[in-house]
Amino acid sequence: MNSLSIYVARESGLHTLNPITKFVLTLCVLFCGFTLPGIWTSYLILTFVIVPLAMWGKVTKRMIQLVIKISWPFILSVFIIQTLFWGQGTALFEIGPLAPKIEGGVFAFHSSGRILFIMADFILFSLTTRPDTLMISLKQGGLPSGLAYIIVTTLQLVPQFVLKANTILDAQRSRGLETQGNIIIRARALLPLVLPLVIGSLLEVEERAIAIEARAFNSKRVETSLLDIPDTQNQRYARIGLVLFTILLIAGRYIWLS
Amino acid sequence: MAIVNLHNVTYTYPLTKTPALQNINMQVDEGEFVAVIGPNGAGKSTLCYTLAGFVPHFFKGELTGSVEVAGQESSKSNLHEWVLNVGLAFQNPFNQISGAKYTVVEEIAFGLENTGVPRDEMKQRVTDAMKLTGISDLGDRSPYSLSGGQQQRVALTSILVMQPKVLVLDEPTSQMDPIGTREVFGVIRTMAEKGMTVVLVEHKVEWIANFADRVIALHEGQILLDGTPGDVLTSDLLAEKGFGISRYTSVARKAKESKLWKKDKLPVTLDEAVEGFDLTPHPSPRGRGK
Repeated sequence: MNSLSIYVARESGLHTLNPITKFVLTLCVLFCGFTLPGIWTSYLILTFVIVPLAMWGKVTKRMIQLVIKISWPFILSVFIIQTLFWGQGTALFEIGPLAPKIEGGVFAFHSSGRILFIMADFILFSLTTRPDTLMISLKQGGLPSGLAYIIVTTLQLVPQFVLKANTILDAQRSRGLETQGNIIIRARALLPLVLPLVIGSLLEVEERAIAIEARAFNSKRVETSLLDIPDTQNQRYARIGLVLFTILLIAGRYIWLS
Repeated sequence: MAIVNLHNVTYTYPLTKTPALQNINMQVDEGEFVAVIGPNGAGKSTLCYTLAGFVPHFFKGELTGSVEVAGQESSKSNLHEWVLNVGLAFQNPFNQISGAKYTVVEEIAFGLENTGVPRDEMKQRVTDAMKLTGISDLGDRSPYSLSGGQQQRVALTSILVMQPKVLVLDEPTSQMDPIGTREVFGVIRTMAEKGMTVVLVEHKVEWIANFADRVIALHEGQILLDGTPGDVLTSDLLAEKGFGISRYTSVARKAKESKLWKKDKLPVTLDEAVEGFDLTPHPSPRGRGK
């Protein structure tokens, strides 16, 4: 699919769930993960909630790949910074000014767990939900259609924009524009690349506006949708249940704290 | 009965001094297939925008005179209601793709969704329209993965499916090869025969001669000629004013000077040329001759 979306089409129960249900589930998992105490919480949620859901959606491998690919730089930097710059604590060892602290390591482990479960949570949602179906559901729930249009088209048009930028780059190179070398040569090449891209895109906006107006985009009639996005009474109950559970959990946590 | 009625229409774009259209008077009958020709800057696209309501609703500027379609006046309507009267498809197919849809079927249904057509009817209309334009096999593809000619047909189908009373097309075959062009002209002809009124801007003169009922020649924002394809496309005025003309017309005009063309009327198409030059009829290798 020619889009920024990482959606993977599979035949699975998770895929057929209503997008709103998945969205609510994703947010509830997020809030629960932040509310529950203990440094192992994130890892437990990851192992016993998110991974089984991913297995249900048949996207476990892809999810783990993406989570590792995206989160390793964050996790690495968290560990380096937290251990080396932790104020007071037990040093693991000392080599000159380098004295990594165990407490810093524990904190970094806690933070990494959060990074991992948040990433996995949202990546799982994106892997199993087509952005346009989510937008159609949100529109039916009252999201302005202009806003929904902007979100979905951005996901589709950014890759097109990149393609166009590459075409311009090739075109200018074939006319002899130097794009490689020292910083001054590169800076000089910037203008002939950026100007056609920006001006071209601004001109396209008008045509695109005409094209969607020609298809009654601003019509005041009640919109219908070609795609049938199934929703069941059970899912409605499940959503309410999830929200109530999360609210109770958060409330309980604060009452217990005070 | 005239479904399109332009009376003394003059239009000036914002921030410009010379009008893009001057004193245009034209009537188009229901089910008629009218082609509009003209050199660059003649006002062809502006005429399309005027018929489709984008002038004055989208481009603002100053419009005088009246634009009536099916008894309604465009300046008194809203653009989003007017597009149900007059559908517009234009040249660059890439910019006509909404960008909000992932498959061709959904892309074509976009206009129907916006106007609140019920799902079952929508599905039927999308299937029918795709069959008509010959793109039924593209339904599940991403609109961005298609070739220029395919995208152009998707853009045309997306407008056809909305079943406007008048179809305005601004060079809808610009990205197509001869086979695609023939198919699209065939589709437009079928639509016209089914009672849809068509106004088409096109440079491909020979195709116009074969398919259109009437030709309007625009020059510097004014109507220069208005008549049957045979009369308008062979007029001496066209060559003088820098219109694109058929090569058969040019050849026959040269031949007439040296008395090799004996008929009064000049040809536009290959068939007419073959007939007029009185060439022995024999089957041509490509099967296009008589």
